[in-house]
Amino acid sequence: MRRFAPAALLVLTGSALLRVSLLSDLYLRYVKAGLRPLVIASGVLLIALGVIAVIRDRRRPPTAPERHGPDEHDDHGHSHSPAGPRTAWLLAAPAVMLLLFAPPALGSYTVARDGSGAVAKRTVFPPLPAQDPLVLTLTDYGSRAVWDDKGSLKGRTVRLTGFVTPVDATTWHLSRLIVTCCAADAKVVTVLIHGVPAPSTDSWVTVTGTWHQDTAGPALDATGLTSIATPKDQYQDTVQP
Amino acid sequence: MTVTDETTRTRQTAPAPPTPAVPRPTPPDAPPDRDRDRDRPRLSEVLGTVWQATVCLVVVGFALSQVVPDFVHRVGVPAFQAWGTVLAAVVIQGVPFLLLGTLVSAAIGALVPDRILTRLLPRNPVLAVPVAGAAGAILPGCECASVPVAASLIRRGVAPAAALSFLLSAPAVNPVVLVATSIAFPGRPEMVLARLLASLATSVTMGWLWLRLGRPEWLKLPTRTGPADPGGSRTAAFTRALQHDFLHAGGFLVLGAAAAATFNILVPPPLLETFAGSPWLSVLLLAGLAVLLSICSEADAFVAASFSGFSPTARLAFMVVGPMVDLKLIALQAGTFGRAFAARFSAVTFATAVLVSGLVGGILL
Repeated sequence: MRRFAPAALLVLTGSALLRVSLLSDLYLRYVKAGLRPLVIASGVLLIALGVIAVIRDRRRPPTAPERHGPDEHDDHGHSHSPAGPRTAWLLAAPAVMLLLFAPPALGSYTVARDGSGAVAKRTVFPPLPAQDPLVLTLTDYGSRAVWDDKGSLKGRTVRLTGFVTPVDATTWHLSRLIVTCCAADAKVVTVLIHGVPAPSTDSWVTVTGTWHQDTAGPALDATGLTSIATPKDQYQDTVQP
Repeated sequence: MTVTDETTRTRQTAPAPPTPAVPRPTPPDAPPDRDRDRDRPRLSEVLGTVWQATVCLVVVGFALSQVVPDFVHRVGVPAFQAWGTVLAAVVIQGVPFLLLGTLVSAAIGALVPDRILTRLLPRNPVLAVPVAGAAGAILPGCECASVPVAASLIRRGVAPAAALSFLLSAPAVNPVVLVATSIAFPGRPEMVLARLLASLATSVTMGWLWLRLGRPEWLKLPTRTGPADPGGSRTAAFTRALQHDFLHAGGFLVLGAAAAATFNILVPPPLLETFAGSPWLSVLLLAGLAVLLSICSEADAFVAASFSGFSPTARLAFMVVGPMVDLKLIALQAGTFGRAFAARFSAVTFATAVLVSGLVGGILL
């Protein structure tokens, strides 16, 4: 590895982290909001380490042995050139990706692939408030539709919010992805929508309608549909977008 | 152009050939200047590197912008975007914890005297293993942090068996992970207990197995020069260790993240549900899935909870195997301890973790 390359890699990785966390909200496409301070701190620390490396190496004779003498090469399963490990170059890939073309948040592709449609079992259903229309999360609606024997959704007009995943010509999924740590653990929640044609894929909408009783899974007979702006944090299941 | 320059630098004693691509305001008295260069490289050299890096970025960026969109369109844009998102997510999630781990390990390396570490653990390695395993509870964070810390413990004279037991237990039994597990399985405290017991039992078993069967030549740790490094002070040794460890492990984190993202995109979940019926097959399947998906140990409980079609024991195996063996960890271990170690250690840990989960799950769940 070239002499100043480790420093360049540290600064590059640090800048990529700062670009997605400090200078924009892009980090919300990948991790939870709570991780932001840690990501910013990591970015600052990496840039500082890179700058220290440049200052130190400018003072240092280039021929002096660095941390590994010539005899110690390949003694621990990887090859080192004097200034640093070669695998470190891999860090440049996600860094450049985040700096130049940060990939979008997960959406209908991930939902459509999941397809399991399993709804976690639930036994306790607190009484619903008397508001009309009743605003529910997709998770709450889904578990009541599938597991509530007393039918608390019967006769209620509900309002749900999520993004669009097409299913077939007449129906589509109102869906959300719920992330606990990072996008790799995204969990899918969907409600099958009948009665209104599918808006454009991945767009965010609020749907008003009544419970469509279906043994296959949670479903809704929609009567109204409003497009809304894509929320900043797309990986939550909240009543408000 | 890069190749020419590389040879210039590595063969400093040979007369330096002129490098046409990098304009340097070199005065004609080259030999004395080169001697001075050995002591203090000129600013122009730094600028030269920056210039070359910029040229490379522009050329590579242009080439990529011509080739990549076409390729992406042929394979399918959403699949590629999802792959990139998962890769970026695992890396962004992992880097802070990796840095935390390298900070702790560099601090152990540069600041903690050997005496303290050896005094804290029982002299007898057979007793040191369970103590180190239980000590894993104090390092909050996910598995990325534990690899560099375990490596620095071994380097500082802690028995490898004890350090490896710590390596396995730290990401699995710390309070953050146990609280996350209790939130993911509301009203089922036995799941938290089962996870704690199975993870501890696996890590201690692996420590003892290493005492019995492990060979020192499998472990290949980078030899370190201590604070007496030519670099000078303790702080210099500290920042140097930090840079090296982070860059090194970071590369392997990206490798593991790419593998995990690929499997995340390739494994169709409906296929998994068909195996859910058979008790032993489902345990093996979820354990294998934990290896492939490489989910952070602080989040895996929520994913395990979402596998509603599977038995509690299978979900326990997912949570016990995940923090100890996964693609990202295998890559990190191969980078830190050597490939010979990572292959053997991961395979045996996987088998042990599956057996222990089966036992604990059979008794408790």
